[in-house]
Formats: sequence, structure tokens, C-alpha cells
Amino acid sequence: MASVSASHLILFIASLVIAAGVAGTFTQGISRLSQGIDDQSLEVSEEVRTDIEVISDAGSPVYNNSSKTVTLLVKNTGTAAIPADDRFIDILVDGRYRTNVTVTVVDGAEWRPNNVVRLEIGGTDLSPGDHRAKVIVNGDEEVFAFRV
Amino acid sequence: MGFSVSGSAAIIFVGVFLAFSTAYTASADGFERVSDARSAVDEQALERQNTVIDVTNASYGNGTLSVEVVNEGATGLSVGAVDLLVDNAYRDNFTARTVAGSNSTDLWLPGERLRLDVSAPNRPDRIKVVSGPGVADVEVL
Repeated sequence: MASVSASHLILFIASLVIAAGVAGTFTQGISRLSQGIDDQSLEVSEEVRTDIEVISDAGSPVYNNSSKTVTLLVKNTGTAAIPADDRFIDILVDGRYRTNVTVTVVDGAEWRPNNVVRLEIGGTDLSPGDHRAKVIVNGDEEVFAFRV
Repeated sequence: MGFSVSGSAAIIFVGVFLAFSTAYTASADGFERVSDARSAVDEQALERQNTVIDVTNASYGNGTLSVEVVNEGATGLSVGAVDLLVDNAYRDNFTARTVAGSNSTDLWLPGERLRLDVSAPNRPDRIKVVSGPGVADVEVL
């Protein structure tokens, strides 16, 4: 009789341990998923809030032939601050990715909504004719066409 | 045997309950964050639709460029958010920046005239005024 109670106790403990393991794994998985949803929603909301506008005057020259530099002025017309760093701003001139970019906020310390940054894209040896510059920030793309 | 089944069921139930409450909080917060962002962007799009600016006068004399812009839209704008480009160069060192004669206000209301004065050593060719929502107007001197 004692052996029956002992085996019942062993089975009881084993079932509790297994149940705790299942519940723990499940809770951990869902908690990781929740963290993922949280991070993703933060990213999506930042993407939605980001809006930029190239305000350079296409009627005036934007390309400096002697320094081989294209200068663009880009305004933050969204509702979120964007880091004014070339790691967050992707620039393509005529489809070629450019890395030689200097970013300067011209009317403040940070690139907050309504502030303007100057992008100086160096090493762009452009021939006379039509050209396109594409600025990508946080998924928001702006194309600026100009003539040299 | 019966007690071990109910004990394990209770543990699993508590685990599922905790997991569900975490997931629900994260989803609700995330959804709210994204819908807030969408509503802010919608409001801004409406503001942009309601914005019209018109450079009515741009004159150059005695080394000073004077630009007069009228808010012809239906929404109030911010004077501080207005950008002036003279021959594609960004200018913010205004010698005067007044709305309807006042230099202390930041509000540029519909129908009001904004006057921007900047020093310029040479006569410029093109002027571009950009308002806060990104709506712009160009004037050739």
C-alpha cells in the first residue's frame, strides 16, 4: 500500500514539474514575442512619423563643378526628430550609393521637425546633363532632379 | 492521480494567463503607438493641404534683400519654421523678420504678410521661401 502512495507521489511531482516546464516555456516564448511586437511598433511609428522634403531650388545650381560636390537642403517635415548623421541617411546620385556625405544642421543643433540639414555629397564627378539624387531616411524616399 | 491532473492544469492555466496578459499589453501599446503616429501624420497632411504662400514682392537695394510673403492658406503658420533660400543658399541671419509689422510674434495667420530682410552683397537672382509644412514659393528677381 505504501508503495502505491509513493508511486502516486512520484507521479504527482513529475506531473507538476512537467506542467511548470510547459507553462514556463510558453510564458517565455510569449514574452519574447511581446518584446518583438513592442520593438516593431516603435519602428513602424517612427517610420510613419518620418517625412522629409528636399527644399533646394532646382532652378539654381546645386552642383559645384570645382569641388565636385552636390549640395542639397533637406527639411524635416515630419513629426519626429531624425538623427543628423550620415549613418541614418542614404543617398544615391544617378543610382549610385554615395558614402562621402557631410551632414550639417543649418538652423539648430538637432534635426527636429521644421529644421533643415545641408547634405554635401562629395566626389560626384557629374557630366553636363540631367541627374537625379535620391535621399532615403527611415524608409521615406525623396527624389530631386537637377541639371548640370 | 486526479489531484496531479488538476494541479498541473492549474499551473498551465496560470502560465497561459500570465502570457496572454503580457501579449495583450504589448499588442495594445503597439497598436496605440502606430495609430497615434498615423493620426499625427494625417493632421499634418491636412495642414499641408490648407497651406498656400505667395511671394508678393522681392526687392533688392542698398545691400539688403526684402521679401514679402502672404499667407494665402487657411491655416496659421509658424514664423520660426519659415526658411529662406537666396540663390540656393540657406539664409537665417535676418536683419528683420516681421509679421504685420510685429517682430515678436511667431504666429503667421491667414491673410497676414511676412516680411523678411537679409543682407546680400550682390543682387540675387532667385528666392525660395519654404513654410513649415514644406509648401514653397519661388520668385525670380
